[in-house]
Amino acid sequence: MNFNDYKIKNDPQTAAYKALEKAKAVQGKLNAVVSYVDPQARLDELKEIEPNGKMHGIPIVLKDNVNTKGILTTAGSRILGNYIAQYDATIVEKLNAAGAVLIAKSSLDEFGMGGTNLSAATGPVYNPYDLSRMSGGSSGGSAVLVASGVVPFAIGSDTGDSVRKPASFNGVVGFKPTYGRISRYGIIPYASSLDHVAFFTRNVADAATSLEVLAGRDDRDMTSLDLPVEPYRDRLNADLAGKKIGILTNVLDAIHDPEILSMFNGLIAKLKERGAEIVEIEMNQDLLSAILPTYYIIANAEATANHSNLDGLRFGVQKDGDDVDEVMTNSRTAGFGKLIRKRFVIGSYALFVENQDKLFRKAQKVRRLIVEDLKKALSEVDGLIAPAAANVAPKLNDTSLDQLSSTYLIAENFMVMGNFSGCPSITVPLGYKDGLPVGVNLTCNLYDEQTTLDLALAIEQATGLSDQIKEVA
Amino acid sequence: MKQYEPEYFKTLAKQLRFSLSDTEAKDIADEFGILLDQMRLLDKIDTEGVLEMVYPIEAETSFMREDEIGHTFTVEEAMANAPRKAKDHFVTVKVVG
Repeated sequence: MNFNDYKIKNDPQTAAYKALEKAKAVQGKLNAVVSYVDPQARLDELKEIEPNGKMHGIPIVLKDNVNTKGILTTAGSRILGNYIAQYDATIVEKLNAAGAVLIAKSSLDEFGMGGTNLSAATGPVYNPYDLSRMSGGSSGGSAVLVASGVVPFAIGSDTGDSVRKPASFNGVVGFKPTYGRISRYGIIPYASSLDHVAFFTRNVADAATSLEVLAGRDDRDMTSLDLPVEPYRDRLNADLAGKKIGILTNVLDAIHDPEILSMFNGLIAKLKERGAEIVEIEMNQDLLSAILPTYYIIANAEATANHSNLDGLRFGVQKDGDDVDEVMTNSRTAGFGKLIRKRFVIGSYALFVENQDKLFRKAQKVRRLIVEDLKKALSEVDGLIAPAAANVAPKLNDTSLDQLSSTYLIAENFMVMGNFSGCPSITVPLGYKDGLPVGVNLTCNLYDEQTTLDLALAIEQATGLSDQIKEVA
Repeated sequence: MKQYEPEYFKTLAKQLRFSLSDTEAKDIADEFGILLDQMRLLDKIDTEGVLEMVYPIEAETSFMREDEIGHTFTVEEAMANAPRKAKDHFVTVKVVG
C-alpha cells in the first residue's frame, strides 16, 4: 500500500494502531524494533491541523539514531541504553509538519557502523524473506519494517550504502539524496563527511513525496545545502527517450552469479526498448579496488573523533571507577560492542602522527581521485547503474567471501562512491533469486534528484516491482 | 612490544579509554593482516599533487549570522541525562585528593 492508498483507506488513528500492532506481531521474528512509540498524543495533534500534509496520517518508523524529544534514542549502543533525547532532529519536525505519525524506533548496527545489522545492542535483525538471513545494515530495522508491510516509510542513514544495500536485500526502495540535501541536525553521527539522511519506501513516487517533505536548508546543519525544494513527485517522468544510462562494467565483471547477471541484462533490454541509450562505462579498476580501504580509514577515523564524547560522565550509561579515567574506561568498555571497539582502534591507528600521511591523508587524496573518476563517468550519462549487491542477503554467519576479491572490494562496496561524492543514489527492486530480492542501484549527478527519481521510476515500471511486501507469518 | 601483536592493540584501546579482552585483542591482530593488505591497495595509486578531499561538497555552506539567541537548552534539559548530578553540576569521583 502506498501513501495515497493509506490516506484513502485508513483514517490516521486506524493506520497508526494497525501499524503498531503489526510491528509488535512481527517483532518475535524480525527483531527490528528498539522502542515502540505510543502514537496517541501525535494523533490528537493531527486532529487540530488540516489533513493536507504530504504524509498526513502515514505511520512511520525512525532509525534509532534520530533524536526524538522525550523518547529513548540509543543509536543501537549499550552506552546510550538510557539516553532520552531532549530535542527533535530537524527531520522529525519536518515529518511532524507533514502529518506523519511515529510508531517505532528501529534497530541499527551500533552507531550505524556496519553493513549487517548484527552489531546492534538489541541483537540481529532478520530478513523477512528468509529468517536465517541478515537484513543488511546499518539501517536494517527500518528496511525490514517497510518490507514486511508494517509501515510504508522509514528513515535510515547512509554513510557507506547503509540504506541502499538493505533496500536490495529486502526488496524495497532505498534513496540517499545529495549530501546536504536533508538536514542532519539531531542525527547521532558516525562519520561526518560521509553521513547522509536517507529513507525507505515501497515505490519511487512515495520516495519523491518523501524527499519533498525532508529536503531543505537548515541553518543548524553547517553542511546543509541552500537550494530550493522541487515538486519532485509532480514532475516525475519515466520517459526514457533521449536518456543515456551507463552500465558500470567493473561491477558486472566482479559479479559471478549468472542469475543476478541475467536479471540485470533483462532490465537493460527493457530500458533499451523504452528508448534509453545504453552505454558501457569502465572506471579505473585500481581506484574502485581502493574504495573499501579508503572508506574504512576515513570513516573509522571520523568515528573515533565523533564518539569521544561518549564517556559516561555527562550522559549515557556510567560504570563505577576509582577516578575519572577509570569511570570513562569502564563505561566505554561496557558500553561499546566488540565490533565498534575494533573499528575505533583502526580509526585511531590511521590517525597516529606517523600514519597520518601514509593512511589518513592518503585516503583523503584517493577519495578525491575516485570522485573525479565518478564525475567523469557521470558527465557522459544521465545515470550509472549496476546490481546493488553481488548476491542476495547472506546467511547470518556467512563469512565466505574473499575480502581481497573484486567481488568483495568492488561489487559489494562500489555504492560507497555515492558517499564519497555526495551524489544522489537510489536502489530499487530488480528481481528475485530463489524467492529472495535483489536490487539495482542508480547513481546520478550532484543535486539532480529529479533525474534520479525519473530513471528509478522507469526502472520500476520496467520490472513491475513496486509496492512489494513480504508478510511474515 | 611488537607492532600488530595483541598487546599493541590493547595499548591502542587503552589510549581510547576502553579495554580489549585477550580474545578481542587476538581477533583484531589476526584480522589486521587482511586490513593491511587492503590498505596497501592505496599504495598503487599515484596521489602526487592531489589535494585531500575532506567534504564531498566543497562550496561554502556556512555563514555569519546575526548574534541573536536561537535554539537553546534549559539547564534541566542539558542535565536530564546526567548519570549523577547535584544542583546544576555534573558529579564525578574526586579528581584531586
